[in-house]
Amino acid sequence: MNVFDRPYETMPRADREQLQLERLQALLARLRRNVRRYRELLGETRLASLKDITQLPMTTPEELADAFPYGMFALPLREVIRLHSTLGPAGRPLVIGHSANDLAHWSRLAARQLIAAGVTAHDVIQISVGLGTLGSAAGFTLGAERIEASVIPEDPVHIDYQLAMLRNYRATVLVTTPTNAHAIARRLEQRRIDPQSLHLRVVLLTRPIPPAERETLSAGLFASIRCHFGIPEILDPGFSVECSAGHFHVNEDEFLPEIVDGELVVTTLAREALPLLRFRARQAAELSEESCSCGRTGRIIRPGRRLDDRLLINDIPLYAAQFAEALAETHAAGRSFRVECDERGVVVSVEVTDGLFHDTMRDLAELKSRIQSELHIRLGIDAAVRFVAPPSTPPS
Amino acid sequence: MLQVRNLRCGYGSLEVIRGISFHVAAGEIVSLIGANGAGKTTVLNALAGLLPPWSGEVRLQGKDLSAHPPWRRVLHAMALVPEGRQVFGDMTVMENLLVGGYRNPQRRRAIDDSLKLFPRLRERAHQAAGTLSGGEQQMLALARALAAEPRLLLLDEPSMGLAPRLVGELFRLIRRLRDRGVTILLVEQNAVAALQISDRAYVLETGDIVMEGLAPDLSNNAEVRRAYLGKGYKEVWE
Repeated sequence: MNVFDRPYETMPRADREQLQLERLQALLARLRRNVRRYRELLGETRLASLKDITQLPMTTPEELADAFPYGMFALPLREVIRLHSTLGPAGRPLVIGHSANDLAHWSRLAARQLIAAGVTAHDVIQISVGLGTLGSAAGFTLGAERIEASVIPEDPVHIDYQLAMLRNYRATVLVTTPTNAHAIARRLEQRRIDPQSLHLRVVLLTRPIPPAERETLSAGLFASIRCHFGIPEILDPGFSVECSAGHFHVNEDEFLPEIVDGELVVTTLAREALPLLRFRARQAAELSEESCSCGRTGRIIRPGRRLDDRLLINDIPLYAAQFAEALAETHAAGRSFRVECDERGVVVSVEVTDGLFHDTMRDLAELKSRIQSELHIRLGIDAAVRFVAPPSTPPS
Repeated sequence: MLQVRNLRCGYGSLEVIRGISFHVAAGEIVSLIGANGAGKTTVLNALAGLLPPWSGEVRLQGKDLSAHPPWRRVLHAMALVPEGRQVFGDMTVMENLLVGGYRNPQRRRAIDDSLKLFPRLRERAHQAAGTLSGGEQQMLALARALAAEPRLLLLDEPSMGLAPRLVGELFRLIRRLRDRGVTILLVEQNAVAALQISDRAYVLETGDIVMEGLAPDLSNNAEVRRAYLGKGYKEVWE
């Protein structure tokens, strides 16, 4: 069986709970000592059992954004050797710091996922994930290096270029976003290229996709399709491991998950630079205790939808606020808009009043292309832009 | 092997250990490192039953030891090598070993085994323990604990007062004991040496455990390096 860190991944439940309690108590001691916010919130609170965690204060993404950049770090900046920026609530910036040890832990956690997906030291791994998910590319690179596979971190530029790389380097494993995997599969089909002429064995996707979609991709790329589920504000990859049965096991030696009113709440147990206590992940999820044939004992998480206004457009995480910012640079500033996304692409519908409709076609076309170019430059997406009338008010 | 949950203890009204939890799995060397006065020795004394804990749970191989006096804990295969050796100076080496194995029906064999590890002690079997050198006394303290054939050995500052060469020898010996199946909980101020031979470690700071991790990870941890390994001060550049 493909288990990288057997003592931890298959730890019996009682032992795991002991370890979690130890790490949680140590975390509280560290937070009290090193982070002002938690010192004020926690006071002398101590914890005698894991169940008592519900008495501890939660941390929201907004609080993390308020403390941006370094307010919640538990180590002085000189010990933080890697900073990954990501986007938090309403598109506000967040920074996730890692100490040398955090990176060592991350590499092991990412390696767990790679090994579970069947990757070995003999594989050549091409990692091509897109905008806004660079952090996960970094994580998979660390993991691949940990298992001593050959790794090619790559910009996901044009599909043809990616295909050429897959062929030239004879990559056996591709780590990518579902969008990009579909694009490659489509291109293979358009060009009438036999997917078996590539050497792909495993395609590891950065987010879960439904079984039917997996089958399509598996046929299109002639490789087994595996998925990963991570949370960028916490750790992605590394939060969970997808086993061969398709279950996402939380790495419970490092993370303590809870479900509060349907929302996933996570405490990082071993992190040094940016430990988080009961972080509300803004992600709907279910946790299940059921045992799994793969032998891993971490609880199984079934991720649901996002609970904030984050959109995933071609696998680029975007917030509505970012669209508003882009529109603000054009004549459409301040107008209400709606963003829709389906498999064909993104449509931004901007509401315009009659006054603007009476403008010449040329003006409208100019505004449209201006909006499109702003969206492309700022957010890296190609969107169709429509002008719509505001919802009509019923006649009085 | 050993599971400790929410252990609190202290002296008089002074709370020294403020609710710590840790564990030692069978076959592991786990060290508890920390500065002077962090409470390391207090933890070991509480485990050995020399200091009554205020609250908390100590389980050895699943059995709750909280109510057991020290001599019963020895029956459960736990032995302490106390800080500062504390050999019986007026008694001979062999008598010391017999005391160590007093409750062990197999003590003759156990003593013989431990003397094989320490040939020097066999040479001095009939010499008063007080006349031994510091290093030899430390060996005797270890051998005395081994005479009880413990499965869990608690070592309190075994390197204290030893010449550096002896420290190296002692730690190699601790490794060998582990290879023979003895689980070891090591309390040390000499964090460098302790982390080198340990599998995992806990960092104790003023009565709280502030960190748990694999020994190599902890030796890379900036705070541990600064506080216990004497490194890092020069790297401060603000």
